[in-house]
Amino acid sequence: MGVELQPAPGSPSSLVPPDQGFFDGLNGELTDKGFLVTSTEELFQWARTGSLWWMTFGLACCAVEMIHVNMPRYDLERFGAAPRASPRQSDVMIVAGTLCNKMAPALRKVYDQMSEPKYVISMGSCANGGGYYHYSYSVVRGCDRIVPVDIYVPGCPPTAEALLYGIMQLQRKIRRSGSIER
Amino acid sequence: MRAPAPAYASNDGVIDSARAALGGMLLDAVDHVGEVALHVRREDLYDAMIALRDTPGLAYQQLMEIAGVDYPDRAERFEVVYCMLSLTRNHRLRVHVATDEEKPVPSVTDIWPVAGWLEREVYDMYGVLFSGNPDLRRILTDYGFRGHPQRKDFPLTGYVELRYSEESKRVVYEPVQLAQDFRTFDFMSPWEGANYVLPGDEKGALPQAKGAQTPLSADTIVKANAAQSPTQAPTEPKSTESTAQTGAGKSESDATPKPANPDVVPTKGGGQNQ
Amino acid sequence: MSLYVEELLGEADAADPTTGDVTIQNYTINFGPQHPAAHGVLRLVMELDGEIVERVDPHVGLLHRGTEKLIEYKTYTQALPYFDRLDYCSPLCMEHSWVLAVEKLLDLEVPERAQYLRVFFAELTRISNHMLNLGSHVMDVGAMTPNLWLFEIREDCMNFFERVSGARMHSNYFRPGGVHQDAPLKLLADIGDWLDTRLPRLFEDAISLVADNRIFKQRNVDIAVVSRDDAIKWGFSGPMIRGSGIAWDLRKSQPYDAYAKMDFEVPVGTRGDCYDRFMVRVEEVRQSARIMKQCLRDMPEGPIASLDRKVVPPKRGEMKQSMEALIHHFKLYTEGFHVPAGDVYVATESPKGEFGVYLVADGSNKPYRCKIRPTAFSHLQAMDFMAKGHMLADTTAILGAMDIVFGECDR
Repeated sequence: MGVELQPAPGSPSSLVPPDQGFFDGLNGELTDKGFLVTSTEELFQWARTGSLWWMTFGLACCAVEMIHVNMPRYDLERFGAAPRASPRQSDVMIVAGTLCNKMAPALRKVYDQMSEPKYVISMGSCANGGGYYHYSYSVVRGCDRIVPVDIYVPGCPPTAEALLYGIMQLQRKIRRSGSIER
Repeated sequence: MRAPAPAYASNDGVIDSARAALGGMLLDAVDHVGEVALHVRREDLYDAMIALRDTPGLAYQQLMEIAGVDYPDRAERFEVVYCMLSLTRNHRLRVHVATDEEKPVPSVTDIWPVAGWLEREVYDMYGVLFSGNPDLRRILTDYGFRGHPQRKDFPLTGYVELRYSEESKRVVYEPVQLAQDFRTFDFMSPWEGANYVLPGDEKGALPQAKGAQTPLSADTIVKANAAQSPTQAPTEPKSTESTAQTGAGKSESDATPKPANPDVVPTKGGGQNQ
Repeated sequence: MSLYVEELLGEADAADPTTGDVTIQNYTINFGPQHPAAHGVLRLVMELDGEIVERVDPHVGLLHRGTEKLIEYKTYTQALPYFDRLDYCSPLCMEHSWVLAVEKLLDLEVPERAQYLRVFFAELTRISNHMLNLGSHVMDVGAMTPNLWLFEIREDCMNFFERVSGARMHSNYFRPGGVHQDAPLKLLADIGDWLDTRLPRLFEDAISLVADNRIFKQRNVDIAVVSRDDAIKWGFSGPMIRGSGIAWDLRKSQPYDAYAKMDFEVPVGTRGDCYDRFMVRVEEVRQSARIMKQCLRDMPEGPIASLDRKVVPPKRGEMKQSMEALIHHFKLYTEGFHVPAGDVYVATESPKGEFGVYLVADGSNKPYRCKIRPTAFSHLQAMDFMAKGHMLADTTAILGAMDIVFGECDR
């Protein structure tokens, strides 16, 4: 709705994809030799960013937005990020919601059960630093007191787009910090 | 009642029939803000609840809520409030019971099993004991929590906070340390009955003693070690005439270039900003 | 031979246990607190005999955030957003109880348009809540597709909330004295269109997949039957008590705001099982749509909040013109308004049941005590007797039909 798929006449260059040359090069190499050469590190990064299976750690309000990002409208799975219920299978944990004192040991246990390499996204102001419940007697003031956090997504709750952006930022971070052992 | 609050059957006659049904068990009955509150003797609570449930014309079948309230100034500081609902008469009623830290309130779990958790919560939050509740454990607070958080003398932020300890490989409790204190303001005007002392107020309250010394004037005050310290020549007052005095640097168009943004790939031709 | 038949029928113990027989002992398993079917952070300690549930001990409080204590330290206006975050699937219905309680203590009149707007958006909230619950309930018992479609409706609802209040979830839209701002005409028209076209199409399609589905019925019919007496004794409310066959709806029996003028029906179940609770919610969605259409038809023009400037802050445009409005705005957003002393218990029909606020005011600008009556507390407590004798796999169906949200349960 409202998005014109046809290019406007007079601006033919506006629709050229930015990496066209790169893809043309790849195609040429593949048709020429039949294989591609890359470094293992780049290969691993590519594999990691392309299948970020995330651990559903829905704690509070943010969990609803976390479900929304999976549902057809935002469709997180097109980035290769699929929800997993078991920590053993997952690569990234999205801490969505207020982390309370009673829940903190369970959170750490789940984090310890995840296999390396593992990443943590802290979603929403409660997980980032306590937020609206910062001064409560029963709330952990930020889930980074319990687990190391890679990406903080602000908002109360962050919209589904914001979480999507956070996941893309995590992919960018994985690509950038390219060591095999994390 | 002008507010659009939930409208149920009128309160007319409820207090009279409650008085007739409860007799001496009833200490006081109040009709305030359109709601009836009965204050019941603590020892007779169980019988009073059965009477309220079974007497025709009262028939409060459902117990919806048990709330605790803390009034530290009272002799029996806690009040336990039972909110009841009559489905047949479409009426609500509150029953208040006063108690303190030690005197137990009779449990109503035999009448309404739902009271089990509700009483556990009041015990957890206030430390009110319920005699006859078979399962009076803490319910909401952490396993091993100390204190009763809803009491007025319990601090908002509590006494402990959690952290993962890398040394002991587990989550540990530590005394609470806040980076920034919780900011509370009170909005009492000093001339409208704020009954506390503001910093500095104590000076005004003290009467000046008779024959007290008049404060010294500035030139008679001498520092104790004045003889040892060298005297300085009075400095020239500064003006904005020259940059040497204001300390301003040279104006330059763009002294430090902005750091390049790694996200932005510069386009050919320098982009529109150059 | 007859002994053998009795043994087979289980009427007599095996006289001579063979090597194949194993004595089964009860064992205890821990369900949660991190389990996708627990709908949040529920921990169930279950005692099982084989696959049969013998005893359930729910451990709650894993999301206990100390809301009631925090509210005592905030002004009445600042405390309102805590209610959004209680039941985060139906934020506006939570606000509804709070604003009605404050208004009752203040004895504040609310303009008619504000009452209609509140009813209108409370019903939209009910639809969005039921979309989440119905979708996750069918997902818990094995159906995937309806959830995807129902969440599409939920996205629409969230867009509408965003358009009226600026926030997708935590709207903070109802205020003591009315609502925060008026709904634009285009928005009301769009919701009207949506109610006529998109909602019935998506919703009826999705429900038609499961309502008569054999597998769905096998998982839900006759699971966790609750009799009328039990429902009353255990303090049930909302779809849980209606599923047991008691036509008790606070919107009908104790009408607040503009509900007295609405024409709608209260669905009740006949058997009191999980399937009835599911179908009660399905019908409630249709009735909510009906109420919303009546709101659109009858909503009058006029102010959207009380004109009592000692409670409701003036609008920005007024502040540019009037010194007095500026002072009122400053006072209301720093000190807040003072509420006369007294205590009230105000309960409204939230999508999950009776959501009550017991509010004690001491005449200052902060509540002395605010006790929140969660719906899930009494429902979850009944989990023990509802799950007894059922299979382990049925607990997810029972939990799904209860509609529990832990923000509200643990507060």
